[in-house]
Amino acid sequence: MKVVGIMSGRAARLAATATFIGFLAAGCATPPPASDQAAIAAFNETNDPYEPFNRAMLQFNLALDKAILKPVAYVYKETVPDPLQTNVTNFLANLRGPVIFANDLLQGEFERAGNTLMRFTMNSTFGILGINDLAGEIGMQEHTEDFGQTLATWDVDDGPYLVLPIFGPSNPRDGIGILADSLMDPFTWLTPFEFRIGRAVGTAVDRRARHYDQINDLEKNSLDFYAAIRSLYRQRRADEIRNGAPASGSPVPGGLSVMPQKPDGQQSKALSSEK
Amino acid sequence: MTGSPLRAALGALFFLVVAYAAPVQASTPADFVKQMGDKAFASLSEPGLTSDERAERFRILLNEAFDLPRIARFALGRYWRTSSEEEQKEFVALFEKFVIQAYANRFQDLSGQKLNVIDAREISAAQALVLSEIEIPGKPPVKINWRVQSKDDEHKIVDVMVEGISMSVTQRDEFAAVIRQNGGKVDGLIKALRRKTGSD
Repeated sequence: MKVVGIMSGRAARLAATATFIGFLAAGCATPPPASDQAAIAAFNETNDPYEPFNRAMLQFNLALDKAILKPVAYVYKETVPDPLQTNVTNFLANLRGPVIFANDLLQGEFERAGNTLMRFTMNSTFGILGINDLAGEIGMQEHTEDFGQTLATWDVDDGPYLVLPIFGPSNPRDGIGILADSLMDPFTWLTPFEFRIGRAVGTAVDRRARHYDQINDLEKNSLDFYAAIRSLYRQRRADEIRNGAPASGSPVPGGLSVMPQKPDGQQSKALSSEK
Repeated sequence: MTGSPLRAALGALFFLVVAYAAPVQASTPADFVKQMGDKAFASLSEPGLTSDERAERFRILLNEAFDLPRIARFALGRYWRTSSEEEQKEFVALFEKFVIQAYANRFQDLSGQKLNVIDAREISAAQALVLSEIEIPGKPPVKINWRVQSKDDEHKIVDVMVEGISMSVTQRDEFAAVIRQNGGKVDGLIKALRRKTGSD
């Protein structure tokens, strides 16, 4: 679904970047000299004009992680029984239901909206406030959506890469998405301050614990942790925006990147179907 | 036993044809991924393997299943053309070491896991995308897509995408960043790879 006219990509991008530009100006990377075409192309492709600022912000986030989040997540992961951890994950995921539902609707994905609504209703009641994913067990799989993805389906550009304090890898579009999601979330308005803090802390610990080994792996095995995270974040978001459909138009080893970019991979012919 | 040269010749021809066809070749990219996956799971998750043994098995499987030199070339991106032949050669060798070091031990604990091939799609005349899932007990399945390059009945994997994240693209982006940090010199990346893989 496209809602051109409500918010054009350009206007949104301008508005988004304007918000950040003030405090970012100090951390700008110097573009390569105009004579070096290859270097200019690389600079533009990376789309990370605030790289020095972003690298500093990553260091800040990592320091915070090492001092607080990582040790807490480790203790949580090692001491809390697995079934209970699953309950926590389910409970927090269920709380995101209304926001996912709203974004499904905003994207015109009515079938997915129906799935989200059913899941939320079932899990909140029979699943005891969402601690059990009963809907998932009977085949109604969870999917996530957020306003950053909704903006993407409206053809709003992501803007330059940004590492936000505490929130981590992002961009102006996803930054606005985080804000919009929290404003449209009924639990933001219906629950006391203590609950909201607990939810935020719980979400951070739960997520950090679930990705504990992957993050260790990446840190150990990457030559440039910052660049690896930047690449992973962008590819992951692109995948989420395509709702997991394979991207056949991406560049391939061997240079066969002549396929037209289609987000849903419709141009691919099915060779076999063993489903 | 007859001494007919014709029969001997026919026999030899028959032998040649059978011997040529003998290596187990998967007929479709999807079969190829399934077979390689099963083989890798069985071979790498064998209990009692030392980490060196696992790395060696991984190296053999990696070269059998993947077109590693081609992936290495892709990962170097625009800098492949600007590097010398020696640099290219050393880079490809270091890339193999780097991949083994990064991935071999991830196959340590595969208990109860299973690779299911779901679908295959044609991308171009020579390439197919094989869609699969890894089943992990008690967790949501992990979506893994394989880009397979085929020539006749010979298949090689040229990229793996885990939950939409391409290994080749990630490596290329990361290597490009290392090269840029070293003033656009491939030499800087090669030195970093040497350090990382203990090949100094």
